Order: sequence, then structure tokens, then C-alpha cells
Amino acid sequence: MADAFLEARGISKAYEGVQALRDVSLSIGRGEIHCLVGENGSGKSTLIKIIGGVVEPDQGVVVIGGRPHSHLAAIDAIRQGIQIIYQDLSLYPNLSVAENISFNQFVERRTGFVSWKEMRAIAERGLAEIGESIDLEESVQNLSVAKRQIVAITRSLTQNARLIIMDEPTSAITREDVDHLFSVIARLKAKGISTLFISHKLNEIFEIAEVVTILRDGRKVGDFPTAELDDAKLTYLMTGQRIQYTPYKAPARTAVPLLEVRGLSRRGQFREVSFSLWPGEVLGLTGLIGSGRTELALALFGLNPPDSGQILLAGQAVRIRSPEDAGRLGIGYLPEDRLTQGLFIGQSIGDNIVVTVLKKLLGALGLLDPARRRKIEKRWLEELAIKAPSARVRAWSLSGGNQQRVVLAKWLATDPKVFILDGPTIGIDIASKQNIHEIIRALAERGIAIIIISDEIPEILHNCNRVLVMREGRLEKEIQEVSAVGETELLAVVGGRHGNGEDRS
Amino acid sequence: MKAALLKRSEFYLLLVIVVFAAAITLVNPAFLTIENLFDLIRSSSGMAILAVGFFLVLLSGGIDISFPAVAIVAQYITVNSIIALGIDNLALAFAIAIAIGLAFGAVNAFFISVFRIPTLIVTLGTMNIFHGAMLEFVGTKAINAGQLPNCFKVFGLVEVLILPRGDGTFYGLSVFFLIILAVVLITWVILRFTVLGRVIYAMGGNPEAVKRSGFNLVRLQFFIYCYVGLLASVMGIMHVSLIRYSNATYIINSELLHVIAAVILGGASILGGTGTLTGTLLGVVMISILEKNLVMLGLSSFWQQFFVGLIIVLGVSITHLQKRLRERI
Repeated sequence: MADAFLEARGISKAYEGVQALRDVSLSIGRGEIHCLVGENGSGKSTLIKIIGGVVEPDQGVVVIGGRPHSHLAAIDAIRQGIQIIYQDLSLYPNLSVAENISFNQFVERRTGFVSWKEMRAIAERGLAEIGESIDLEESVQNLSVAKRQIVAITRSLTQNARLIIMDEPTSAITREDVDHLFSVIARLKAKGISTLFISHKLNEIFEIAEVVTILRDGRKVGDFPTAELDDAKLTYLMTGQRIQYTPYKAPARTAVPLLEVRGLSRRGQFREVSFSLWPGEVLGLTGLIGSGRTELALALFGLNPPDSGQILLAGQAVRIRSPEDAGRLGIGYLPEDRLTQGLFIGQSIGDNIVVTVLKKLLGALGLLDPARRRKIEKRWLEELAIKAPSARVRAWSLSGGNQQRVVLAKWLATDPKVFILDGPTIGIDIASKQNIHEIIRALAERGIAIIIISDEIPEILHNCNRVLVMREGRLEKEIQEVSAVGETELLAVVGGRHGNGEDRS
Repeated sequence: MKAALLKRSEFYLLLVIVVFAAAITLVNPAFLTIENLFDLIRSSSGMAILAVGFFLVLLSGGIDISFPAVAIVAQYITVNSIIALGIDNLALAFAIAIAIGLAFGAVNAFFISVFRIPTLIVTLGTMNIFHGAMLEFVGTKAINAGQLPNCFKVFGLVEVLILPRGDGTFYGLSVFFLIILAVVLITWVILRFTVLGRVIYAMGGNPEAVKRSGFNLVRLQFFIYCYVGLLASVMGIMHVSLIRYSNATYIINSELLHVIAAVILGGASILGGTGTLTGTLLGVVMISILEKNLVMLGLSSFWQQFFVGLIIVLGVSITHLQKRLRERI
């Protein structure tokens, strides 16, 4: 590109003998919206750190505005207009919006003093530039993640950013906020500011990016205009494997549903929800964040008891007041945040797997029977193909995908009849995702009834035979046969953004 | 404006103080007099100075529990040095004490910033190192009013505002008031109007982000812990001047919990990043009143210990609860 703002040429970097990047080049034009994709470990983070001057490459140069830098320091990168917004946003939760936006400028100046008047002026000017308004005195900890992002972007802007690099900016915000963020990025583009963003979510890449650079195992696969890519091609380029999906067909229904929910309500969360679930089904539960889908799932698991309504298991009315009740009745739940909620990270894989079934392992004198324990551990390590030298290895040493499998094993060891998975593949790479999906399918084929909560439409499409869409606490729509609908149609129902649902933009 | 006032925890603390003071006044009308107020200021000035220092550390996300040790060590060494040197001069006394305070603060900062050890552990250790070393190398003998150099005794009696009592005698406001005023004013300016002060707040909120902003954290830690050391050493001199007696084991056991309770009561978060000087000072007022007047309400003095403990546990619980509620959103 002739009018490139930034060029990285022939970048290589190794960490302790592991080649993180190998001869990677990247060019970003002025005002260009550029997306960097690749699986975990493909070298994306290293590349942005090199562009930001945080990490020094072993080989290669970074050219900013036509000037080559072979030893780019972080402070130089900032002065040249390169701003990185990390996933954690680097904001000060206890300080005001105005102070967060202007903080770095006062630190830079080294006059030693701050001016509150100027602080507000800087913040006001910055927010006005992208047409945003946020209460300047509000403490950042009281803002939503989406608003915090705007604060972080504004801060970059006030430091004369020419290129804003965002690391997975959409992973923790609602669909509505993603739209808003994209409109901000479009405004940045209008000002000639380039954006480089890293994302896992393929549909977003197609929505906003002009150019997509794909990395795989530290090498660049290529730069592609978005128009030339589709889901399958992008996935193939990222993983090097073609992933084929065949829609899931559920077995014939039994006379009595395995799980039936009648008129379940909880104030402020969900209202009058009724549905049934048959053995061997994979039911998708989707809707925007805040639609009540997770709250509903927690109600089925006893963590969020409903105010009214009935839950029936195999035709029998049951009361589920605690996870213990749920476990006894054969309902398992895999939480969204696998690391903090589902796994004892410092314990061994084996400990994690058997923790739900300790009572079953008691032998003589009420002591744990090691032989039974080993049997269960071995069974699940093999069934779920968990890649670990032994069951004694600690959970933190595993990759994200394998950790997820351990959590799966932990719940499967209880032999659940109904298994609820909340965002089962959030934050894991495509290949591991594929693996998890295969496991889910295998479980369903054994007759377990599965509920997947997800806002990734492809995930729902490829795994579920039936979908429930929630909106503002109600069941909005039921799609009986997933194989009969397409992605755009499902997206329209979920997001309410297309067709008749234009009310919120 | 009104709503903003009601949102602030300081307002409620002030309300509690007013109610408490009213209750004591009902029992003992002598409580609500200017003379008693002056007395309260004089006797609680040491705690106020220490509280300001402790507040600063808490704000930055650290905890320093070595300050009572620094105060007593600075005091005891200074008093002994002045006696040994035979130069009865207050300025020299302050110079010696402050040098000790700064040195100890620097030791704390060194371990905290260079080795990145948790601040509580570092100061728990140094507290015992400082005090233990002093007891071994300087001694344990108490210095009574008779042996105490004159400059301290005079300093303890200087008054800046003298008012007549009804019977023709006089009472006055101790010079300590000016010291508190100066310390509070300087600290307020630092926290409010300097980059350094704002970085202290920022660090309590997100230390990682401060690092990324390019600010020199090592220098910042040295400032914070030296400042605390300095304040502690000043308090050491005020303390000996007030009670006219220097005992090698004073302060260290009595002040720590009171100061922590006062600062937490004042609304500073144990997790760092939030709190105000106003709150801290109100906390000091509350604890001082509690310290001296529970007996007047017919409660034994053991209740004071009970309440101080209760305040710390409840205060910290509330902070953590608030954080958890916030993170749920």
C-alpha cells in the first residue's frame, strides 16, 4: 500500500527458543480498519507488542509514517501516535472519567502539578471528537464495560493517536454495544485514524474490517480484503483444516419429556418461561446478554430459585433449591467462566474430576478408595481425550481447551441426565472449539439432554437441533428445526437488529 | 449538591460523631466546651499525624504497620542523643528524628519496590527489626521528666491561642494544632494538585496501568514510605513532649490499631484507591472521643478495645462487600 501509516517488515521473534513470529510483515493504511486474526498462540499478541514498542523483535523493522525504527521504544511508539488498548483497558476504576482520560498526559508533562479545569477540558474535547458524552465526574468503576471502552478510546485519542490497536474489544460487551463500538471506529476512520483490532468472533470481522491479516503458528498466512473471505475460508486459513459441520439431528422423542419447565418466573430476570427437553436433544438457548438466559439456566441448577412456576423431571414435579438438589436429580451445569467458577486451578486434574463424586468413592470405613478413584479418572481422561501426562498434573498447566475438558469431565462423572453448558467455548481457539463440539455431540448421542447457552450464532447452528431465543426475560421464539434456518435468519431473531427489530439502534 | 453530600460516607461519620458528642454532653456538660476541644486536639494530635501517613499508604494500595515502631525508635534515639550530646535544642531533635524516620521509610521502600514483597509482610518484619535493634543497642531504660531535656518539655507546653476561664485562669490551644494543620494542608495539596498525588490514587486503583503509563514506580514507593517515616518521627517527638516521658515500649503497642481503626472508619478502602483526608481526620476524632469518653457513658474501658476491633472488622467487611456488589454488575 502506497499510503501506509504503519508497516512492520520481516518481523521475527523467539522466546526462549520458541519461535513466536517468523518473518511477518504487516501494513496498515491511514484510516484503515484492519483485523488481525489467528488462534491462541499464533503470535498476535507478540506482534502488537512489537508494533507498540513494548517488545523488541529479533529481526525486522517497524516503519511509522515512512520512518523506519529498528529499536522502537514504547514511548516513541506513543509519540508517533500508536496506542494499544489492552483487554483490561488499563483504566483506574477509582478515578473519574475526566481524570482517566487525561491522566497519562499529566504524567507525560512532568510539570509535577495537575489542573482539574484542564483535565475536564481535555476529556470534554476528546469525547466530543467521537461524538460521545459521559458524565466526567463519574467514577469509572460505576460505568458499564462498553462505556469504559469509550473512555479508553478517548484517552488514546487525546494522546494524538494515529493508530489505535484494540485487543479483543468485543469479548465482554453486548451485541448492542458492539454496534456502538463499531460506529465509534467508523468515526475514527473518518478522522483518518487507523484501527487494528484482534478478534475471535468471525461474524464481527466481516462486519467491520476492511483488511484481514491471518496468522498461524507465528507465520503470516496472508492479507485478505474482507470481501474475499467467508466463514469457512477464514476458519480454514486460521486452523489449516477444513471444518465441516453437519447439522445435528435429535433422536425420536420419548412420550414424556426428560425436563419440562412450566411458567417459570423470577422478578426482574425472566417471566413465564415454558419449554420441554427430550433425551438426546441439543437445545440452544440464546439471546442478548441481559435477556435472562443465564439466569434461567442458573434457576434450573438451583443457584437462582424461581419465584413461581414448575420444573418437572421425567414427568415428576421437583424442587431445585441448591446445586446439591440439582446434582442429585441429574442436572449438571458448566459455568461460563471456566477458570474461576469451574476449576480448582491449583489442584490436580484427578482431584478436579472426582470432586463431584467423592461420595461414590467411599470404601470401607468411609475412606476414599484409591482404586475406584483411579478408575474414574482414567475413564474420563480417555473418553474426553484430555492431553496430559497423568491425572496428577495440576490443572493450571493445561491449555484452555484441555481445562474446559477437565471441567466437562468433572460434571460428566456425576452421570447427568440434563447438562447445561453456558458459553462452552468462550475464549478458546477454533481447533479446541471443534473438539468440544464433538464431545457435546457424543454426549447427546448417548442420550444426555444438553442445553447450550451461547451468543455465537455459528456455534448454535452447528450444534443444536432446536433453539430457544430469549429477549427481555421472555421466550421470544422457538426454532424447531435448526437445519431449516440460515445464519442471517437466526441472527435477525437473536439480535433484533434486522427486519422489524430496528427499535434499538 | 445536597445529594452529593448524602452520598459521602464522611457525612454519616460526622453525624455519628455529633450524636455521640450529644450523648456524652447529656451525661457530662463539661464535654462540649472549647477547653475540652483544645484538650482533645492536643492529646489526639499524634494519632492524627500517624493517621495521615497510614492513609497515604492505604491509598496507594499498600499497608505499613511499621510506623509505630518508627515513631518510638525515632523518639527514643533522639531523646538519648540530645541527652548524650548535651545540646538542648528542639530543631536538632527534629532533625535527628526526621533523619531516622526517612531512613527507615527508605528501608521499607527498598524491600517493597526492589524485591516486590507484599507491603504488610515487609513492614511486619522491619517493625520488629527497627524496634528489636533499638532495644538491644540503645537500651530499654525509661527517661522520666526529670532527665528529659528542656526543649521537649517547653515544646509540649507552647500554646498559640490563649483564652480565659471564668475563674480568671487561662487555657490555650497547643502548638501541636499548627503541626497537624501544616501536615494536613501539605498532604492535601500533594494528593489533590500534584501528579505524584494523583498517581498515588491511581496506583491504588490499578497499579498495572500506572506501570504502563511510564511513571517511575520505584520513586513513588520511596516517596510514600519516606513520607510515612517522616510523619511517624515527627509524631515521636510530639508524643514525648506531650507526656514528658520516654519509654522504649510506648506507642508501638497502643497506636497501631487505633490508627488503623480511625483511617478505616474515615472511609479509606483497605484495598486502596479510595478515601479522603477529611474522612481520615473525622475517623481520628471519633476514635479519640471513644478512647476518652466511653467511661463517661458508664462503660468500662475494656469496651474501647472491643469497639476498636469491631470497627476494623466491620469497616473492612463493608469495603469488601461493596467491591463484590460492584463486580456483580
